[in-house]
Amino acid sequence: MTPYAIETYRLEKVYRTRFRGREVRAVSDLSLRVPEGAKFGLLGANGAGKTTFVKMLLSAVHPTAGTAALFGRDARDPEARRPVGYLPENHRFPTYFTGCGMLQFYGALSGLDGPALKRRIPEMLELVGLADWGDTRIKKYSKGMLQRLGLAQALIHRPKLLILDEPTDGVDPAGRRHIRDVLNQLSGTGVTIFINSHLLGEVESFCEYVAILKKGELALQGKINDLITDRGYHVTAVRVSHAAIRALNGTVSPDGQTVVIQSPTLEEANHAIDAVRASGGMIESVSASAGSLEDLFIRVTKSERGTERAA
Amino acid sequence: MTQHRWKIFSALVSDTFQEARARWLFWGLFSLSTLLIAIFLFVLQVDLAAGAVSLMGIPTTARHIFRIEKFVRISYSWVSIALYIWGTFLAVFASAGLMPSVLEPGRISLLLSKPLTRTILLAGRFAGNLLIVAINHVYLVGCVWVIIGVKTHVWDPRFLLAIPISLFMFAVLLCVVMLTGVVFESAALSVMLPVAIMLISAILAQRDVVVRLLSSEWSRELWVALYWIVPKFYDLGLGMRRFILADQPADWWTLVWTSAAFGLAILSGAVLVFRKRDF
Repeated sequence: MTPYAIETYRLEKVYRTRFRGREVRAVSDLSLRVPEGAKFGLLGANGAGKTTFVKMLLSAVHPTAGTAALFGRDARDPEARRPVGYLPENHRFPTYFTGCGMLQFYGALSGLDGPALKRRIPEMLELVGLADWGDTRIKKYSKGMLQRLGLAQALIHRPKLLILDEPTDGVDPAGRRHIRDVLNQLSGTGVTIFINSHLLGEVESFCEYVAILKKGELALQGKINDLITDRGYHVTAVRVSHAAIRALNGTVSPDGQTVVIQSPTLEEANHAIDAVRASGGMIESVSASAGSLEDLFIRVTKSERGTERAA
Repeated sequence: MTQHRWKIFSALVSDTFQEARARWLFWGLFSLSTLLIAIFLFVLQVDLAAGAVSLMGIPTTARHIFRIEKFVRISYSWVSIALYIWGTFLAVFASAGLMPSVLEPGRISLLLSKPLTRTILLAGRFAGNLLIVAINHVYLVGCVWVIIGVKTHVWDPRFLLAIPISLFMFAVLLCVVMLTGVVFESAALSVMLPVAIMLISAILAQRDVVVRLLSSEWSRELWVALYWIVPKFYDLGLGMRRFILADQPADWWTLVWTSAAFGLAILSGAVLVFRKRDF
């Protein structure tokens, strides 16, 4: 049994326009592995191919080339989707449903029988804070309530893999907190959570792993803590000897006067300060640098070339 | 079909029912049937008055019985043709939006994420539609048959043939609705194409006259070929009416299998396109 919830190999999707035959490469040569039980964030600018990738996993879009597997099973096999819960972006739940009716329908499609549905529907409504709204038609629900109900339908059959496409998009802060709380409750239960989002802060605070897509290609993937390497301290100094600059791996500014030394820990920053002083240099400033996923994202998506991979 | 697939199929049929219930067009379909039933109830109230006169001493003659039977047959033929033409048209009209609605971007991707095949999704939608129209047809024809039977004591089962024949032709046209919905995602086109087939079938059915008028051999062959390809909406309706009205037999088998072949080919096309499409 594969230890990966999601495993793709050289996955590719090329769309061809119906009449002109023009090609649009939405996803290209994408090989990705998401370990079972991981909290994984997929990032990318608009049009980077995130949603196409997710739809290929769920067989809503057919890959042009490559393979995709869910828990080791070919993603094209309907049975591969049985342990999967999915909340799509811009969902359109039929408005003739009540909250309970909707959970009943999607629960039945997920393979739950009558008694299981009877048990799970109140549990799910309670979990997402909609216990009093089960008999109300969903056309009366707010965007946040619909999103929570969508989360409930994705969870009703106790999936092993939860795929969320922009789960908090358009949801107010209280609704976001609620969704985050539900996901935090789930994260300890061994469920693999795959979030496709452009809200970097949320991905950074929740996920352990991240992948960044750029123009349909995998630009970077790995553990967030391994990828964000510029966290630490900046020591700026002047009149530093060339030998000290080399020893401390400092960066000389374009004017040739200032040297910036990057230290990942406070101890190393103090050691750099001592070394600068010992070499006759003077400290101009010391600042803590909080490297973030956002910095990394901007750096990766703006760089022209190169695919970075964490070890 | 395994138990799991059957559950999924039932859920999809039930969903089609719920969606139809939420649409005014389907209520319109049932309201029109109810109106027609109410008209019959009213008309037979008048007939009951005549019956009362007869009970008060006017003897029932063979001529009077003949008149009642004729009245019953004419009523049957009118109702069956109204059901066949208008009922089918309204049913197509009411069904046209049900396929495009399920293909809306945020809805279809969620449905396809479930452990079901695309074929079963299409089949569930098809069967749900067919079942709704079947209920309407049974309701209308059944009620009219019972009302006329109770009031006149004429229980002619030939009228009940209107249910399977109308339903069969609706099923054939529903295949066109499905294919149009899957390819174009347009409710308007899903109405226009089946209606066009209904009209073309009436024109093609005049082949005996037209073939004599056509000058070239190839145009005559083309006309005949088109006649056999297109479902026999006109001929089947005409055959049904003649059978109910005057007990004239029709070549049911040829009419049914050629129409069914067309429907199956179109439905297979719909399944093929639906399975290959990206959503």
